[in-house]
Amino acid sequence: MKPFDYAAPVNLDHSLRALARGRGTRALAGGTDLLALMKARVASPDVLLNVKQLRDLSRDIALDERGASLGALVTLADIELDPAIAQAFPALAQAAASAATPQLRNMATLGGTLLQRPRCWYFRSERFECWLKGGTECHARHGENQFHAVFDTGCCRAVHPSDVACALSALKAEIELRGSHGPRRLAIGEFFDPPREGRRVETVLRDDELVVAVHVPRPAPGSRSIYLKAMDRAAWAFALVSVAACLRMDEDRVAELELVLGGVATVPWPVGEALRHLVGKPLAARAIAEAARGALAGAEPLRMNAYKLPLAQALIRRALHSLAGSASEAVSLAPELHRGPP
Amino acid sequence: MQTLVRPSDTHASGSDPGLDPYHATSAAGRIEGPDKVSGRARYSADVRLPGMLWAKILRSPHAHARIHDIDTGAAAALPGVHAVLCYRNAPDIPWYDHGRLFDRTVRFAGDEVAAVAADSEATAEEALRAIRVTYEPLPCVLDMASALAPGAPAIHGTSNRAGDPAIEQRGNPRRGLREAELIIDRVYTTQVALHNALEPHGCVALWQDERLTLYASTQGVNTLRCEVADKLSIPERQVRVVTEHMGGGFGAKQVAWKHDVIAALLARESARPVHLMLDRHAENLATGNRNATRQHLRIGAKRDGTLTTITARIEIQIGAYRAGGETSSVDGIYHSLYACRNVRTEQAVVYTNTGPAVAFRAPGYVEGNFALESALDELARALNIDPIELRLRNYAETDQRRRKPYTSPDSLRRTYARVSEAFGWRRYVRSVDSGPKRRGIGFAAHDWVGGGGSPPGKVRLTLVPPGRFRLESAAQDIGTGTRTALAQVCAQALGVDIATLDIALGDSNLQLASPTSAGSATLATLAPAIHGAADQVRKRVLQAAAELLLEPAQALELRTGRVVANSGRELSLRSLCEHLGRRTITAIGKRAANRRSQSIRTCGAQCVEVEVDIETGEVRVVRVVASHDCGRIVNRHLVASQVMGGVMQGIGFALTEARVVDPRSGVVLNANLEDYKLPTVADTPVIIHAALDLADTEANVAGVKGIGEPPIIPTAAAIANAIFDAVGVRLYNTPFSVCGMLEKLSGPPHARMCDNDEPR
Ligand SMILES: Cc1cc2nc3c(=O)[nH]c(=O)nc-3n(C[C@H](O)[C@H](O)[C@H](O)COP(=O)(O)OP(=O)(O)OC[C@H]3O[C@@H](n4cnc5c(N)ncnc54)[C@H](O)[C@@H]3O)c2cc1C
Ligand code: SF4
Repeated sequence: MKPFDYAAPVNLDHSLRALARGRGTRALAGGTDLLALMKARVASPDVLLNVKQLRDLSRDIALDERGASLGALVTLADIELDPAIAQAFPALAQAAASAATPQLRNMATLGGTLLQRPRCWYFRSERFECWLKGGTECHARHGENQFHAVFDTGCCRAVHPSDVACALSALKAEIELRGSHGPRRLAIGEFFDPPREGRRVETVLRDDELVVAVHVPRPAPGSRSIYLKAMDRAAWAFALVSVAACLRMDEDRVAELELVLGGVATVPWPVGEALRHLVGKPLAARAIAEAARGALAGAEPLRMNAYKLPLAQALIRRALHSLAGSASEAVSLAPELHRGPP
Repeated sequence: MQTLVRPSDTHASGSDPGLDPYHATSAAGRIEGPDKVSGRARYSADVRLPGMLWAKILRSPHAHARIHDIDTGAAAALPGVHAVLCYRNAPDIPWYDHGRLFDRTVRFAGDEVAAVAADSEATAEEALRAIRVTYEPLPCVLDMASALAPGAPAIHGTSNRAGDPAIEQRGNPRRGLREAELIIDRVYTTQVALHNALEPHGCVALWQDERLTLYASTQGVNTLRCEVADKLSIPERQVRVVTEHMGGGFGAKQVAWKHDVIAALLARESARPVHLMLDRHAENLATGNRNATRQHLRIGAKRDGTLTTITARIEIQIGAYRAGGETSSVDGIYHSLYACRNVRTEQAVVYTNTGPAVAFRAPGYVEGNFALESALDELARALNIDPIELRLRNYAETDQRRRKPYTSPDSLRRTYARVSEAFGWRRYVRSVDSGPKRRGIGFAAHDWVGGGGSPPGKVRLTLVPPGRFRLESAAQDIGTGTRTALAQVCAQALGVDIATLDIALGDSNLQLASPTSAGSATLATLAPAIHGAADQVRKRVLQAAAELLLEPAQALELRTGRVVANSGRELSLRSLCEHLGRRTITAIGKRAANRRSQSIRTCGAQCVEVEVDIETGEVRVVRVVASHDCGRIVNRHLVASQVMGGVMQGIGFALTEARVVDPRSGVVLNANLEDYKLPTVADTPVIIHAALDLADTEANVAGVKGIGEPPIIPTAAAIANAIFDAVGVRLYNTPFSVCGMLEKLSGPPHARMCDNDEPR
């Protein structure tokens, strides 16, 4: 780890001024991602600005009829364990509960979870100067890419690691930012933006800005939401693929449907557009299966990650069946499941 | 999830509790338990010595390269740096088959290039970064297929085959094939797995005059002493190795690694004690791994299930070097597990530019067992014979390799019966197959060449004032509970309470020949020696007491803290010690050789239930029942913890663990505990240890055998067989990842969704 200075300002204004002063200053919240990046020398800030003790950076969850406001310092454990969140926004509570481990969830903050960097092993290894770190090449494209993106958003093929970001996207959250030049409020779909030449990060957050809160609008009455995550072990694993879905039925017809995939692109990947045609129709098994296929149209898997396509489709079907309250019928992938004795 | 040993199972089938000498103490807690949970136990990394420096090793970023030059000037000039070593200034010490301690050619990403010792870890790291190395990268081969391809660059000499294949044959396999009415002909592959013991490798080195002390995390204090002395060209008596407590080794800590000698050299160079523990990253690059294998297996059988032939062509990926230690015998199990007249194996060893392989819990047997036991299951299905019944029809009554009877010929059969009963194999009712989650059950058997123990093994037992016994053995407790088990054996052999016994372990200066903790040999080696020492000490205590009590020695009995005569008179050991004055009663017990006329084996069986999600490819192990013959059970908690640990490690091997190497650079991409996926507690099913507890008194007086390695052996095959039972998909390549499962489940059109056909 490169040696660094440590600052513990008392309020937001001081912090924002410090951030505005130099590009080598980084906010430190739970530290569960930033410290690991520093150890791997992916991040080498000159100054660490501890925002955890800021008097005016909220660590509260507030709910009213319009929705929920969550302060940037709310932890994943807070989200997971808040009964009101679990009731109003099941997908959000489920996403938080599925992330990392209990120890990490006690430390990890909402701000940090939105701004955590990709887990791509080339990115995290000092050995590779990959494109996202300022190099010229994406090593994953022709390397070990079983955990990488199936949608192409430019040079980088890392997937966005945050479960909570995926759920918040389906819930159409807004991100409240404060910078030295003032506040702004972005739809989560604008906040996340695939890395590109000139801005090789996954969000549009400016260097002198902080996330101060996340606002989640209360969905129309009758809406239901769910978060499903496929992992290669039962806990402490990032999503191979995940699905956050939010559905409102009007009688037996779809009134509103939002669906976002995790683990498939550099940012949470909304596929609502592909499902638009379901609105106004009943959610029959056929329609669900077709929609699941449609959601993956345009995917361009790499050498080792095509398995994410059937996986994502399975999760989408499962999520929709579950929300629609219809029994999901197992779609057997195997031509015939044969079996011998005993 | 819950993990349990059903108490009712632990003594159910074997010996009558009334005859079991450990019945009363079998549930004893670990002697060192309170020290460990309270943090008092001192591991190698905890050693702090006055003036101690912190050392770090610079490793090659290249999989294969020639070092043109190293400039250590800037590193050495940093304030706080006390020593820098590389090929330029370090003694030229031969290492591995053809290499040097600091080689001019590096052969895997992680190979040792230079080392520094400094005042602090941060300074040591800074110094490493200041070392300038000029490499000339060389072409590399990262898997066996490319290593064996025509024109592949050779890592050593002219070919990437490490010597001639080992061929072992009995009978006439060709005839066996002709006689077969059904043939299973398959290729299996297994991956490189990493040990990931909780405690990494490393040591603290201290020189006092010409004498070196290493506080090392090692499975063999005596082996390490011998190897380090040899490398440093100093007499063995000048080296002392101390291992007080250890956090596991799983086989990877049974040889001297370069860092052991590097620590000693840095300490000598800086004239300071040196602390050199590896971090998780280095641990996962350069301290061994389970070799990948490719096994082409053919078994032939009659319609009634009788095996007519077993042949296997095996290639094992040794990595860049042969690291020594226990060899990986993938071929072993093919020759012994089943009665078969015509068996042939050919095992070739292949070099690649990857970290060297080393023994990993039942080396070779885990890999071979996966293939053999998968094939047996396939055969059972094809013949429509119950898998356990098929195994019984081919039961090996004798050791066909050594042509000897077994000391416990019946025990394997008994483990079949135990697991089958405890699992409910024959009563199993499958849930209805409607949803996407399908359940199935699988069985696998195993044997293991180790567990019998052998000389040398010496212990010293002494009566010490004021009437306690002190047991000494150089052997180390690598975390398995050796300390507790040895003390229990000793207390039982003397007939005294364990609380009146002190035990000293893990110090080569005790000058007692002792086994390396490998081959599941420690208890089976030392328990008979302890019996020998206890017999002598008891006899002499009784003699001394006889003189004082004026009773014949035959009329006396040793009890806790005292000697009791038939007449009712007693003498406390305290008084005895007072009378003895400066005379001590002490004896050395020596492990005698095993009988030549018989063969000792350990063996067992496991039944597994899995749940497969046919849409997402996720596999969950629901429960495992394991039964293993480890002879007499001295401590059922210790045995159960070996069984659970082995099963968990087996689940990891079967489902999630695999080293991932970048195909272009040879860099290991998951040398950490986030991306190298060990099973978590949430992945751990109910594990039931259906204990056998069958004293093997033909094997040795104590009736004990090893349990360290066996429980990992059959797990992967049992899981594979259960997956087949659940969804009809046969798996030939470990691990069974979500990616691989989806590929299999979706059939040909989606084929090759992930490249896991060749082990990496
Ligand atoms: C072993 C492991 C497993 C994990 N598994 C999962 C998982 O399964 N799912 C998942 O979603 N996540 C997982 N995570 C990631 C974890 O959720 C993040 O590390 C965590 O949410 C980051 O929060 P933090 O408060 O610790 O952030 P920090 O590490 O303190 O900061 C992370 C980044 O956010 C910036 N930042 C923090 N707060 C603010 C703010 N208010 N405004 C602007 N910038 C800010 C920091 O400058 C830094 O760049 C895992 C992490 C680990 C280490
Ligand atoms: S996927 Fe992105 S982070 Fe990974 S190597 Fe490519 S550019 Fe770098």
